[in-house]
Amino acid sequence: MAERVPGGVGIEAINAYGGAASIPVLDLFRGRRLDPERFSNLMMQERGVALPFEDPVTNAVNAARPILDAMSPEARERIELLVTSSESGVDFSKSISSYAHEHLGLSRHCRFLEVKQACYAATGALQLALGYIASGVSPGAKALVIATDVTLVDESGLYSEPAMGTGGVAVLLGDEPRVMKMDLGAFGNYSYDVFDTARPSPEIDIGDVDRSLFTYLDCLKHSFAAYGRRVDGVDFVSTFDYLAMHTPFAGLVKAGHRKMMRELTPCDVDEIEADFGRRVKPSLQYPSLVGNLCSGSVYLSLCSIIDTIKPERSARVGMFSYGSGCSSEFFSGVIGPESVSALAGLDIGGHLRGRRQLTFDQYVELLKENLRCLVPTKNRDVDVERYLPLVTRTASRPRMLALRRVVDYHRQYEWV
Amino acid sequence: MDKKILFDIVTSSVREVVPELESHPFESEDDLVGLGANSLDRAEIVNLTLEKLALNIPRVELIDAKTIGGLVDVLHSRL
Amino acid sequence: MGPVGIEAMNAFCGIARLDVLQLATHRGLDTSRFANLLMEEKTVPLPYEDPVTYGVNAARPILDQLTAAERDSIELLVACTESSFDFGKAMSTYLHQHLGLSRNCRLIELKSACYSGVAGLQMAVNFILSGVSPGAKALVVASDLSRFSIAEGGDASTEDWSFAEPSSGAGAVAMLVSDTPRVFRVDVGANGYYGYEVMDTCRPVADSEAGDADLSLLSYLDCCENAFREYTRRVPAANYAESFGYLAFHTPFGGMVKGAHRTMMRKFSGKNRGDIEADFQRRVAPGLSYCQRVGNIMGATMALSLLGTIDHGDFATAQRIGCFSYGSGCSSEFFSGVVTQEGQQRQRALGLGEALGRRQQLSMPDYDALLKGNGLVRFGTRNAELDFGVVSSIRPGGWGRPLLFLSAIRDFHRDYQWIS
Repeated sequence: MAERVPGGVGIEAINAYGGAASIPVLDLFRGRRLDPERFSNLMMQERGVALPFEDPVTNAVNAARPILDAMSPEARERIELLVTSSESGVDFSKSISSYAHEHLGLSRHCRFLEVKQACYAATGALQLALGYIASGVSPGAKALVIATDVTLVDESGLYSEPAMGTGGVAVLLGDEPRVMKMDLGAFGNYSYDVFDTARPSPEIDIGDVDRSLFTYLDCLKHSFAAYGRRVDGVDFVSTFDYLAMHTPFAGLVKAGHRKMMRELTPCDVDEIEADFGRRVKPSLQYPSLVGNLCSGSVYLSLCSIIDTIKPERSARVGMFSYGSGCSSEFFSGVIGPESVSALAGLDIGGHLRGRRQLTFDQYVELLKENLRCLVPTKNRDVDVERYLPLVTRTASRPRMLALRRVVDYHRQYEWV
Repeated sequence: MDKKILFDIVTSSVREVVPELESHPFESEDDLVGLGANSLDRAEIVNLTLEKLALNIPRVELIDAKTIGGLVDVLHSRL
Repeated sequence: MGPVGIEAMNAFCGIARLDVLQLATHRGLDTSRFANLLMEEKTVPLPYEDPVTYGVNAARPILDQLTAAERDSIELLVACTESSFDFGKAMSTYLHQHLGLSRNCRLIELKSACYSGVAGLQMAVNFILSGVSPGAKALVVASDLSRFSIAEGGDASTEDWSFAEPSSGAGAVAMLVSDTPRVFRVDVGANGYYGYEVMDTCRPVADSEAGDADLSLLSYLDCCENAFREYTRRVPAANYAESFGYLAFHTPFGGMVKGAHRTMMRKFSGKNRGDIEADFQRRVAPGLSYCQRVGNIMGATMALSLLGTIDHGDFATAQRIGCFSYGSGCSSEFFSGVVTQEGQQRQRALGLGEALGRRQQLSMPDYDALLKGNGLVRFGTRNAELDFGVVSSIRPGGWGRPLLFLSAIRDFHRDYQWIS
C-alpha cells in the first residue's frame, strides 16, 4: 500500500447530521398501513425528517459547521478543496458547494465543486480529494467532502418511504488522519450501466427495487474481487475487523454479508450470523436512527462503528460504497483509540437522540412542504418561525443554518 | 474627491469604450444600456474607471450602478 | 514528481451550425457593436443529440488509438456537465457504457458551472500523481449544451435572450490524462484558485440559463485577476506578460477574453494599447479560433480554447500555456502546462478544424422550427422516439466514422444508436 505522505492521509474529522426531526418507523408503517411483517427486515427504529427550512445546502452546512468550529483559523485556511456530493442538486449549473463555501466561511483560495453519482458520489468525491492530499501538490493542504441529500419519497414509494433518510455527513481529509488512516492504493471499483433507480425530476424518485438489490450484491462481489487483485493476501474475514457498507436498509447489508461469507468462506449459518453480529452490526446503529442517507450512508456507518465499538487498538474497516446507475467501490482504512476521542466532541449520538420526535400526522403535514424543496421556484419565502419550535438544541449543535427565502432563484439562508 | 471630477472620469471611460459617444452630452441619468454599451462595454467602463482611480475593490460591488450618476455615487462612497 | 498531464484530447461539436451575425440580425438585435463580441458561428444541438452523444463522439477517436490493454488501464471516468438529465443517475454511466470501458473503473459526474471541465482535469491529474495505481489512466469528458425553446405561440424576439442566444453553443471535449502527457504536460503545483458565492448566472431548470450577464462579466474579471495573483503566490517567478507563450481562457464569447486579457496586461505589464493588441493577436487569438465557431460549451470551453491554441500556435520550441477557467457561482482557477511540437502534430492529425467545417449550416427557418420544439426531448421526458429526419436538410451519418445519436427514451432511460 503506497505511502507518500509520512504518517499517511485520511480522515481528520467526521460529523453527521440526521435531520432536525425524526419519526418512529413503526408509526410510519402503521400510518401507511404497510405490512408489519416487513418491518423487521428494515432493522430500523427511526428515520430522519427534514423541516421545511432545510434543504441540501443546510444539511451540508449543518453537518460540516461543527467540524470547522473546532478548528483554528489557520487550519481552516488550509482547506483548499470543497466537494459536495448529492443527488439533490438545487441548480443544474450552480453547485451546492458554492453556497456551502459561503456559509462555512472558507478561504476564497479554495477549489469547490459538486459531484453526482447516486449513492456512490461521496466515495468518488472522497477518493478524488484524497488524490489531492496524497499527490503532494500542496503539502499540508486539507479537503472537505460533504455528502448531502434530501428524500423525495412519499407514500407512493411504499417500503422505501420508511427506509429513506435526510441529512449530511461531512468528512475532513488531510495528512493528520486521526479518525481513519486510509489504505492508499487498496481499492476496487466495479461499474456498469444499469437503470435501477433514478431521480428524473426534482419531485420524484423512481426505481426498480429488485434490480437495485441484485446490482448491489453483484457490485459487492466484483468490487471486492477487484480490491483483492490490488492487495496481496486479502481475506474477507481476517483482513477486516469491521465492515461499513452502503445501507439503503439494514436487511440488504445483511444479505450482502451473507452472500460474501457463503461464497468466500466455509462458514455455516450460525457462524455467519455470529460474524455479522460482531463485524457488521456495529455499523447499523446510526443508520437505524436515520435511514438511507444516500451518498453519506457508508460514512454514517463508519461513525456508527467508531462510536459503538470504541476501539481500544487499531482496527481495519472494509468499506463498500454503491450507487445506482451503477458504480461501486470496496476500499479500506484503519481506525483506533484516537478515532473515538476525535468523534466524541461532536456527539453524533446525542444529536440523533435529541431530534424532535414527530407524530405520523405531523410528518404527513411536513412532507407536503418538504417535497417542494428542489422544485425550481423563482421567488418564495419560508416561514422559519413556524417550524423553529420543533428544533431541539444540544450542546454540540447550538445553532443551525435555515433556508429563509428564494429571490430570483437565489437561495438565501440565515443562522437560527 | 469631488463628484464632478468623478463624473468626468466616468464619462471619459465611456467615450474610450464607445467612441461613437465622443460628442454625446452626458447626463447623470444616462443609463449605460441606453447609451448603446453592451455587457462587455459596461464591464470595460467599470475597469477603466477603477484603474484611473487606482481603486482596488471587487468589480462585482459596482453591479447595481446602471447609470452614469449611479456609478459616480457608488465610487464616491468607496473612495 | 513524475510527468503528468493530457496524453490525448479531442473535441466533438455537433453536426449543425448557425451563423450568429445572421441570427442577431434576424432577432433585430443592435449589431452596431456586435463585432467586438468576436463571435462567428455556433453549434446548434439537434433533438437527437445530447450531452452523452457529444461526449462519446469526442472520446471515441482517442480510445480507438489505444490498445485493449491501454483502454483497460482507464481506471477513472469523470463526466463534467451542467446539462445532465437525471438528479441521481450520472451521465458517466452512459458514457462508460457506450465507450466500452472496463468495469473496474471509478465513475463520477462533476458540476461546477463552466469550471467543471478544469475541475475534472485537475482531479484526474491528482489521481495520477497520488501514485495509488501506477500506470493508470483517467478519462475526463466535459460535455454541455443549451437548448433554447419557444413556448407554443411564443415569439423569439420578445424573449429576453439578448446575447445569450448567439453565444451559447453545444459540444464536448474529452481528455485522456496519464503519466505520459504527450499533448499537455501540467505544471505540477502551479495552480491559483479563487471562488466565492455569487448569483451571476445559473440554470434553475434544465437546458437554459438565467442570470445577470453584467454580474458574470465583472465576476469573471475579479476572478481572473485574483486567481492569477494566487498562482504567483505559488509560483513567485511567474509574470503574466513573459511567462506564457500562449494563453487559453474560458471563452463565453471572444470579446470577453479580449477584455480580460487587456485588463490583465494593463494591470500586470504596463504595456500600451498598441502593444496589448499585438500581444492579444499573438498569444490569445489562437485560443479563440475554435470557440468563435462553436459558441460557449460551458464546462468544455477552456479545453476547446486549449485545442485552438495547440492547433494554431507555433510550437517549434516548447511553449508554456497559461490557462484560466471560470465557472459562474463562482469558482475559478489559473494554471499552466507545456506543449511541444509532438503534441501539436498529434492534435492536428485529429482534424478538429475540418470537422467543424463539415457541420451543416442551418437555415433560419429550420433553426426557428427547432426552437418551437420540433421533435424536442426535454429534461423529464419519459418516453420518446427520436426522428432523425426532423431537419430535412440534415441527416445523421456520413461523417467518415460512426457517430452516436439518441434514438429513443423509454421510461426515462435513454437509448442510443451508432450511425455510420
